[in-house]
Amino acid sequence: MTDAPEKQVVSFYLDGEPMTLKVPAATSLLDILRGPGRLTSVRAGCRVGRCGSCTVLLNGRSAPACLVPAWRLSGCRVESVEGLTEDPDFLRVASALTRESALQCGYCTPGMVVSLVSCLRNEPGADLHRLQEALAGNLCRCTGYGGLRRALDRLSGEGRDQDDL
Amino acid sequence: MSRDTDLPVQTLGTDRQRRHWWVGQETARRVAGKTLFSTDTPDIPGLLHGAILRSGVAHARVVSVDVSKARTMPGVQAVITADDIPGSNSFGIVLRDQPVLCRDRVRFEGDAVAAVAAQTPEQARAALAAIGVTYEPLPVVTDAGTAEQGFALHGRSNLLAAHSLRQGDFREALERCALVVERSYRTPRQMHAFMETEGGVAIPDGRGGLSFQVGCQSGHRDVIQLADILGLAPEQIEIRPVPTGGAFGGKDELTVQPVAGLLALKTGRPVLVHLDRFESCRSGIKRHPVLARATTGCDRDGRLLAHRVDAILDTGAYASLGPSVLENFLDHATGPLYRIDAYEVCGRLVYTNNGVAGAFRGFGGNQATFVVESQMDALAAGLGLSPLELRRRNLRQPGESGSRGQPVRWTRPPSEVLQLAEVSPLWQSRSGKGRWLEGTGMAMGAQGNGLGDGLPDAGGGRLSLTPEGLVRAEFGFVDFGQNLTEAITRRLCQQLHCDSEDVQVVLGGSRGPDSGPTSASRSSVVVEQVLAAVLPGWCRRLCAVVAAHTGTEARLLVCGSGGIWRRDRKERVCSYRELAGIAGDLSAGHQEDFPVGPGQEKPTGRFLQLLIATVARVAVDRLTGRVRVADLHHITAAGRVIHPPGYLGQIEGAAVMGMGMVLTEDMPMEDGHYRFDNLDQYLIPTIHDAPVQRVDVLDDTRPDDEFPVRGVGELGIEAVAPAITAAIRNACGVSVTRLPVNPDWLLAKLRELEGRS
Repeated sequence: MTDAPEKQVVSFYLDGEPMTLKVPAATSLLDILRGPGRLTSVRAGCRVGRCGSCTVLLNGRSAPACLVPAWRLSGCRVESVEGLTEDPDFLRVASALTRESALQCGYCTPGMVVSLVSCLRNEPGADLHRLQEALAGNLCRCTGYGGLRRALDRLSGEGRDQDDL
Repeated sequence: MSRDTDLPVQTLGTDRQRRHWWVGQETARRVAGKTLFSTDTPDIPGLLHGAILRSGVAHARVVSVDVSKARTMPGVQAVITADDIPGSNSFGIVLRDQPVLCRDRVRFEGDAVAAVAAQTPEQARAALAAIGVTYEPLPVVTDAGTAEQGFALHGRSNLLAAHSLRQGDFREALERCALVVERSYRTPRQMHAFMETEGGVAIPDGRGGLSFQVGCQSGHRDVIQLADILGLAPEQIEIRPVPTGGAFGGKDELTVQPVAGLLALKTGRPVLVHLDRFESCRSGIKRHPVLARATTGCDRDGRLLAHRVDAILDTGAYASLGPSVLENFLDHATGPLYRIDAYEVCGRLVYTNNGVAGAFRGFGGNQATFVVESQMDALAAGLGLSPLELRRRNLRQPGESGSRGQPVRWTRPPSEVLQLAEVSPLWQSRSGKGRWLEGTGMAMGAQGNGLGDGLPDAGGGRLSLTPEGLVRAEFGFVDFGQNLTEAITRRLCQQLHCDSEDVQVVLGGSRGPDSGPTSASRSSVVVEQVLAAVLPGWCRRLCAVVAAHTGTEARLLVCGSGGIWRRDRKERVCSYRELAGIAGDLSAGHQEDFPVGPGQEKPTGRFLQLLIATVARVAVDRLTGRVRVADLHHITAAGRVIHPPGYLGQIEGAAVMGMGMVLTEDMPMEDGHYRFDNLDQYLIPTIHDAPVQRVDVLDDTRPDDEFPVRGVGELGIEAVAPAITAAIRNACGVSVTRLPVNPDWLLAKLRELEGRS
């Protein structure tokens, strides 16, 4: 048996609120968010950074929370879907995904939303290609991505019914 | 109407349609991450974390299990083994041959041996590592083809089931054939790869019973099995209606429920067991790999005369739904769409130490359709006929019986589906660009609704009025994203002329009505049956109550938006809320057997049939041997579309899942060990792999149709594999008979062909 790993104090901002924890340095951000962070939208789909279900914004850029260790968090801004409710990019993305019914079970969807918000925040006029690239790290098993494509059409302005957005 | 064919067809999801799509409130909640799934547990006081010790060996006798050290580890509240099971230590929907916790023998590397409940997940894992198990290795059976000669996993033989279906005299018919093709096929051990891995919580109810929130597919059926395992009465167990993050058949069996329940009973505290992806890959159910040999012959005009399939299905260490999968495989292997003078289809289901295979969308049917449709293409090529023409000459017509002599009910003739596939825009060839060889292919599929073949298949539901004045529809189906809530809401709105805000749909609770399992594309049919039986009388009851209360004649009243209206809809007489105050909940339930054909007490095969044709356009990379599926065009005949985004999403989602099975998805095993353990090795399609899809629905269901609605959850996967392989053949001349397509193999074949020309 190994001894319990040494704990480290980390302070960061979670959805705008300061948070300070004493945790083992290698604890993943995913476990912090689902544990003491009490978030449920950040989900453990693979824990190897492949499925994207735990995607959060780390200093404004999307990252899989399962691959972010606690020791990297000091001073960071972490944002999840749960904190984005008033964010204009979130509202745009959420409206497109909802209206196109771009999900089925919806387990992966918050991660998708965060990836798209990250893309739009950094490139407000992102075209279909860029938006699609932003979702390369997000897996969906239900939809076959058809609804998502329709939502991306809408977001990129390539959908023909922009007028009624 | 289609301009090319004058058939009643509509394309789903056009820009114009989508402007009027109704999506329901739940969709926005899920987008915002507000929906709690069974493993989202922020607010359960005293929650413990459970973990399961897996054998890690493919086949062995258990000599000893020592948990003494684990019991003393920090945070540990309980450690359990087979000795701690108060009831029966076995489960399985059809055959209870799988131990909850193995006592004296393990049969695959994911078998459970012991389990721990601790304060934190880390403590639980640490305690697992401290459990000492001594194994004595047994011979490992890895090859399904020779499994029957191998060391028996259960009883005296590894043959679990052998069945055959026959019609006519195959030998005699074979003699008459002008052309015979004989080929071998192999389909992969596909993984469901639902995004939410198996998991849930068992919560003691304080009265000796348990309440579960868990990813599953049939709360009622699970209660019965759990009661036997936990030594409780069924009434002491409740499965709460909680959304499940994807299932596809992979949560049809019990997963974590028995262990979570045992730990919760032992500790008296709620216990969460959530498998991580590694454990899910290793212990979860997969699709049955199939090895098949097919011989099919026709006369000079392409008329099918003789057809034989011999198949071996690898069910792994335990039966799960293997026997039913074998039945459905054989049913589809008869070539249900085609008239054939004589067939013999034979299948053997064998135990091996290769994981466990069970229910998976398509349920053996899509594997068989791959075989049958590939044989059709081989015959067409041999005759120099177009694959479409060969099918046209052999399709069954409405009014004929099914391939097993049973009554069947299609919604449109198969020939119309073929006709629409024939005019698909995907046939317009685009020239291959240097590196890419492009091609188009098609395949057809038939799929039935319901459990079929003599299985008890009843379903029920209930309507009531809540005190808040909502029309509540309750069904026992589980919500795993199939848009059933939306479909039920739509149906009620259409029939009551009310608004979606008037409707509340409650799914999945075991204390509610038993609708039967959420599988076999049966939910939509059951919902329709229940509503058809209950709604008219229920509306009359509501109107009668209002009539008695207000003095308006009942015959002048109808249900409508927000309450009961005068028939001319000029005035609302009473709101649903007032009505609930006057008359209480006014509940009405109904339970009925799944539809079977006239004159049949128990079904042979399936009565309600759906049709699909899938046209695929692919590009084969001459540099890498990889295949890109660019487009899929589906034509479906499956009754009325109730919720268009849901229907479209089911077809698109199933098709991409089927595409995965053709291109990348397999869980290979070596000496009884999975070679892949996560989604970075087992590759499912990403948005970049997803083809552009079009779904055309062929339907003009009349208002008086007895079965206007069919379930389409599995239809999209039925024909996609043979459509893609037909397109590959069209692109580069290579016939694929093993799935998934190995790029190195395809590249070598391409070189061979190019060298020859």
